[in-house]
Amino acid sequence: MCSSLKHGGPDDEGLYSDAENGLVFGHRRLAIIDLSKNGHQPMADLEQKIWITFNGEIYNYLELKEKLLNLGARFHSNTDTEVIIHAYINWGIGAFSMLRGLFAFALYDKQRGQTYLVRDSSGIKPLYYHIKDGNLSFASEVRALKASETANITDENWKVRFLAFGHIPEPYTTLKNVYSLPKGEFLCWYHKKNTYEIHSYHIAGKRLEITDIGEAKGAILASLSSAVTRQLIADAPIGVFLSGGTDSSIISLLANGQKHTQLKTVSIFFNEKEYDERMYQSLILKKIEGEKFAHLVKQKDFEEFLPEILKDMDMPTTDGINTWFISKYAHEDGLKAVLSGVGADELFGGYPSFRRIKYLKNARRLPAFLFRTAEMYSSDPYKKVSFLGYNHPLADYLLLRGHFAPMEIARILDTGLNSVEDILFDNRQVPRLNRYDEADAAWFELNLYMQNQLLHDTDIMGMAHGLEVRVPFLDEDFKAITESIMPSIRFDQSQPKKLLIDSFTNMLPKPVWDRSKMGFTFPLKQWMREHREINNENAYSGKKTRAIVREFKNNSMHWSKIFALYQLQMHA
Amino acid sequence: MPKKIILFTLRTFSTTGGIQKMTRTLGYSLTNISKQKNWDFKLWSLYDSRYDLMKRYVEPENFVGFGRNKIKMGWDTLTKGTKADVVILSHINLAMLGIVIKVLKPKCRIWLIAHGIEVWRPLNISKQILIKKIADKIICVSSFTKDQMTYWHQVKPEKCVVLNNVIDPFIKHPEEFEKPDYLLNRYGLSEQNQIVFTLTRLASSEQYKGYEQVIKAISTLKTKFPHIKYILGGPYDKLEEKRIKDLIKRLDIEQQVIMTGYIKESELSDYFLLADLFVLPSKKEGFGIVFIEALSCGLPVVCGNADGSVDAIRSGELGTAINVDDQDQLETTIIAQLENPLTIKERENLQVRSLRYFNENDYYKNILQLITNDSGN
Repeated sequence: MCSSLKHGGPDDEGLYSDAENGLVFGHRRLAIIDLSKNGHQPMADLEQKIWITFNGEIYNYLELKEKLLNLGARFHSNTDTEVIIHAYINWGIGAFSMLRGLFAFALYDKQRGQTYLVRDSSGIKPLYYHIKDGNLSFASEVRALKASETANITDENWKVRFLAFGHIPEPYTTLKNVYSLPKGEFLCWYHKKNTYEIHSYHIAGKRLEITDIGEAKGAILASLSSAVTRQLIADAPIGVFLSGGTDSSIISLLANGQKHTQLKTVSIFFNEKEYDERMYQSLILKKIEGEKFAHLVKQKDFEEFLPEILKDMDMPTTDGINTWFISKYAHEDGLKAVLSGVGADELFGGYPSFRRIKYLKNARRLPAFLFRTAEMYSSDPYKKVSFLGYNHPLADYLLLRGHFAPMEIARILDTGLNSVEDILFDNRQVPRLNRYDEADAAWFELNLYMQNQLLHDTDIMGMAHGLEVRVPFLDEDFKAITESIMPSIRFDQSQPKKLLIDSFTNMLPKPVWDRSKMGFTFPLKQWMREHREINNENAYSGKKTRAIVREFKNNSMHWSKIFALYQLQMHA
Repeated sequence: MPKKIILFTLRTFSTTGGIQKMTRTLGYSLTNISKQKNWDFKLWSLYDSRYDLMKRYVEPENFVGFGRNKIKMGWDTLTKGTKADVVILSHINLAMLGIVIKVLKPKCRIWLIAHGIEVWRPLNISKQILIKKIADKIICVSSFTKDQMTYWHQVKPEKCVVLNNVIDPFIKHPEEFEKPDYLLNRYGLSEQNQIVFTLTRLASSEQYKGYEQVIKAISTLKTKFPHIKYILGGPYDKLEEKRIKDLIKRLDIEQQVIMTGYIKESELSDYFLLADLFVLPSKKEGFGIVFIEALSCGLPVVCGNADGSVDAIRSGELGTAINVDDQDQLETTIIAQLENPLTIKERENLQVRSLRYFNENDYYKNILQLITNDSGN
């Protein structure tokens, strides 16, 4: 299992086992803080009562360490890992909510005979577990469980989910009974009884709503600045991904203001003119000191590296190619950690879904059965209207963000419509959102799209190159402040992300924000259309699949759908 | 020929309240009975869709979710509903369907479940017809509801059967009675705190649950019990949230009162463990499933003495009933309970007794007997 994770932990490896409770921890280390041997994991306290295997970064570890030293804790390293151990010794499970950072860890309390699996509150770091016959196994990637003997049975339902979502949505994976631990929650395993429970570790209490726009802007500026400062902590080289869009520009400028000497920026550009963001990148780069790395990605690179990219995916996904390339270059530029702008679109209404969701409200007033047959006679982008025929919150999400409609999936996989519906709309705890306003859209984007697609791909593709990608917009405190801003201020739709842009108007060059949204986009449509295999109808089996490939060749379909079919074909 | 039974419901799985909980357990028992007897059982739900089904209660082949499609439910009632031998209406609002089935198939036995306030009032003509002329049996969830059926609708007592609700077959029954760490942590509480707990829906349209009186009591009791905390659990609407928060502020007990919002069912029994006393001085509980759930976790309860709650505490054997309009009595009862907290042994004992009276096993037997003995069969 450990060897399968070598790519994300190239610097060290370790094992710990305790026969008394039948427990083994395995670890692969990517050293960022305290690069010495003292950071070896699994790690224990001096008395060896608490053991931990920890993936991620605790940004406030120095503050916590100071408190713990005052309480009499004794440390043997300068790592954040050891701070988690002592935080637990002193504050019990209360320690989990005090951590600020991106993390997934397993902590074994030998005396109490309990093991905790804990995941950060934004779900930035993945953590998968499998429970069967009184045994628990867990890992930070699905491939590690696949390599185990206990949890390696494929869940065939993944294909249906993948074709609908474009990824495998949490809590599911490609393996049977292997689930993703929900963000902000911990699993407590009782070794004596071989039982477990899962709970949220959040502290209850609601912030007061911010109703004044001036106060909101001030809070955003202060809180994001402090998040960036906090996240620049590292003993290894750290940089920023700069795409040329608003979000990464803000992060780059804030980082530059905090740490002049070591900041490195990494950006990508293309020969394809409509995707070339160099003009916007240079506006920001002019304002920043430090090393600036820019890399050209060509169609040839895409063709050369596609097999490697597919291999690096832990689970099939239609995104992540962009992150794979920029992580590769960041790694080659000598970086071990980078800051990224992920999260701003979701928090401030940067996506079209924030405007489209209102139309959904009107459509939902019509009888559902009217929409059920939509996919039979409408052209591609409108087939998804058939999701309005399902009375389920995920149907709303899939209408906004989905790939293939249920009937198409049934035909592609040559299965019954009912079984497709049952897999897609099983009784997951997705709340019924019925206001159909921007706050509902934000819920979908943050908890489904960002969680399942962006964060998952970012972590996996970063780790494929031994790179930790940090996301200041998802800092616990920044997120809490943003979410406490009155929706009419936070989602002012006169311009996408208006409040965020207005908060940084003094530092952000106008051309960077005063343009249509580009995103961190590659010319993939063109590259895939010209890719010999992806484009080869004869390489696919199934009548329906071939018909879709033809549609793609006729230029009437988004590339991500063909990419999904291409991956499906590989697993056939 | 196997017996065909249909349980008609409004909304069973897509929302949670007393009626929904009762219907789920009824669906569960009927599923098991039908399996054993080889009968054909279906639970029909007007508002749930098939994706809302909680499969642990009712299996997919026994469930039809109409997802608000009234036309489809109407059509199926005419075509399939009329083939049933026993039709159970889980709510009086389904009266018209019962009437239609009886007219088209007079032999079909029609049962109505009478819960609480939905029948303790004057009813429109179709509902009256159902109660007086159509229904063969009225299952009342408490003796109080049975009395109300006679009082309001002059239903013959022999038509009514009291079948008390039971504890959800899937609620966790604690074996140890320690306060859960994660909840103490979530709300910043410690073992020192005396915790009074209420669980109910906080709706601006339903002003009879009595939590307002408890809030007032807490403001008086905080001097005597400096570590007292009041956990007011359950979802609330915006209007009620504001009203209650204003009241809490006015009484200067913001430090004492915790409003949790919706509580996940998987954590419910842990909240009962966290608390020292459950108080819901409501005036209009048909039965009050929440009381028996609290008791099954060994938590002492205080309820009102003028509604169906009295059945849930077995007329005082398992809990304390008070006059909910008597603020002094409410306060003295809370004081007495907090001053004499139950020992672990007593909590265990309370759990055992409540499970003895309100378990799904007996419920199953009672329903089976009711169906078997129903005069038309």
